[in-house]
Amino acid sequence: MIPQVINLWIPRLLVSSKGKQMGTTTGFRREEGTSFASLELKTINPILAEMAVLKQQPTLFNGDTVDRVDVNGEPSESESEPESESEDEDVKLSEPSKTSINNKDGLLEKLADISWPENVEWVHKLSIDIDQEQAVDVNDDLARELAFYTQALEGTRQAFEKLQSMGLPFLRPPDYYAEMVKTDAHMEKVKGRLLVEKKKIEEAEERRKARDAKKIAKEVQSQKLKERAKQKKEDIESVKKWRKQRQQSGFAGGDKDGEMPFSFDDGKVFERSNKKRPGVAPGDRSGGKAGFRGGKAGFRGGMGKKGGDKMRKDREHKNSKFGFGGRKGLKKQNTSETTNDLRGYNKGNTGNRKRKR
Amino acid sequence: MVKKRKHSEVTASEPKKKDEPAPERPKRTLLGWKDKFEEKETDSSVFRNKEKVLVTCSRRIIYRYRHLMLNLVSILPHCKKDSKVESKESKGATLNELVELKNCSSCLFFECRKQKDLYLWMAKCPNGPSVKFLVNAVHTMEELKLTGNQLKGSRPILTFSSNFDKNPYWKLLKEIILQIFGTPKEHRKSKPYHDHVFVFSIVDDHIWFRNYQISVPHNETDKVDRGGMDKMTLVEIGPRFCLNPIKIFGGSFGGPTLYENPFYISPNQIRAMEKKKKAGKFAKKVKAKTRRKMHEQSNPLEPDEFADLWKG
Repeated sequence: MIPQVINLWIPRLLVSSKGKQMGTTTGFRREEGTSFASLELKTINPILAEMAVLKQQPTLFNGDTVDRVDVNGEPSESESEPESESEDEDVKLSEPSKTSINNKDGLLEKLADISWPENVEWVHKLSIDIDQEQAVDVNDDLARELAFYTQALEGTRQAFEKLQSMGLPFLRPPDYYAEMVKTDAHMEKVKGRLLVEKKKIEEAEERRKARDAKKIAKEVQSQKLKERAKQKKEDIESVKKWRKQRQQSGFAGGDKDGEMPFSFDDGKVFERSNKKRPGVAPGDRSGGKAGFRGGKAGFRGGMGKKGGDKMRKDREHKNSKFGFGGRKGLKKQNTSETTNDLRGYNKGNTGNRKRKR
Repeated sequence: MVKKRKHSEVTASEPKKKDEPAPERPKRTLLGWKDKFEEKETDSSVFRNKEKVLVTCSRRIIYRYRHLMLNLVSILPHCKKDSKVESKESKGATLNELVELKNCSSCLFFECRKQKDLYLWMAKCPNGPSVKFLVNAVHTMEELKLTGNQLKGSRPILTFSSNFDKNPYWKLLKEIILQIFGTPKEHRKSKPYHDHVFVFSIVDDHIWFRNYQISVPHNETDKVDRGGMDKMTLVEIGPRFCLNPIKIFGGSFGGPTLYENPFYISPNQIRAMEKKKKAGKFAKKVKAKTRRKMHEQSNPLEPDEFADLWKG
């Protein structure tokens, strides 16, 4: 949800930088029209789960946490001095101060003084009253911001319906470029910050995935090794058993059947695994790569291109010749084809070199 | 005969001329041609919102509150920003004069005391009620976490929570806020479309303010289809603040007190209480010490068995 959500932000902000007018105006951003979530501000990561009602999250701030603390004061005789357990600037009295004034008539009179006439059309006021269903706890940041957000959303819906019924244009056309309250430079900063946060989240995700994958891979690897060791052990055991059996049955030579105790389940016991020397016939010690090419290029002395193809020293070649894992002591390098191959020594260059010195 | 006809024609044309003065050129406005005659007829019954707000602050205001004030100036196109006001003696009279001078009908005055507390005065001038608020929880538009943006000067949609109708003082506050924060309809600097919404809601006896940008997928400028309404989302533009009403006065920056908030404690008092709590620390410590001494004297310990275990 998270990367997808932030992706929706970026196109909006990218489009904003085009079409400037007089340097300080911002182009109109096209909205995706799909839901998005704005980031919670306390830490980067906790983007909260979708709320059933809205699918959007209001923004929260660090400083707003405990703005008000209700006072658990002892009921005191003097009016406005309860003991407070305040942690922040604003504290409320536990009981209303006795000296407060509430001149209802005066208030209503003043209200009548300043209000606009009754028959003023709604278009002038543009005000909507929204019912707050539940009492909102001030200290619960998320609930409070959510309440404000719901109020705004509901209000806009009603207002738009009214405006739509009036037939006046109220939505911004896509080609309307005008000065915005926040400058383009500022919006660039905002965009930059959002990108940074998105990247951080993605990196964290990747790291976590890599860690998990490593764990799993390690487990799998250990399993494989165990399997191999077990198999090897079994094979050795079965050979021992067979030997013992033969001993016990006194090397009955005529018995050609000779139960083979090896359980040839897969029938592949004597063959080496294909993976180690792919494409090579068993018993071929020159390796698959040393085939015909040596015949052709070698006649020219093989000096054409750094010893030609046969002299290639790359990994593939070595693997196919020596098996996976590299050279095993450089003890035996000749194969059946190369034993009688004296091309390198025919020219006698080595002899000449020694004499010339 | 011919003469007669001529005469009649002349007479016919003359009264005509008297009836209509030379048709004046119709007035030209941005929206088109406005006929002067129409306007004259309906002038008296049309309501025109001529609200103008003067926005000032006191001296020694700190950066955060200054930015808040500037943010408000940018989102209210019908306001005039004025220079700082000396906040000493009789600020009521000076401010009233200032408002008169600038030909404004209301005022937003930001008063910052001790470089810590911000008080906001909202007043309807010349003789309207005024309110003093304590402002908390200020977040300006410059914060990067507020990512929305709006047209400079577009008219906002104002939403009030329903508990504004519960008491007369809330009703009065709602009216004042409506008039100050609502942009007049055909103001010179206002832009035509509605792309942001103000939220004023009363939670815990405070007025909370939020400003959101409306983003709704649409193709035409005057219609949103059903699906579009459901996909409407709001992005916060800022600024944010929370108002705690202290007093409502009958006059502008003064006058009889109509309402006093019973739950209000001034920030100075709060700080004083905190200090008092901490003030008794040393005295308490000394007392505790003497108490301990008395206790020890009255309950002597038994002689220790191991006191002579180690010599020296």
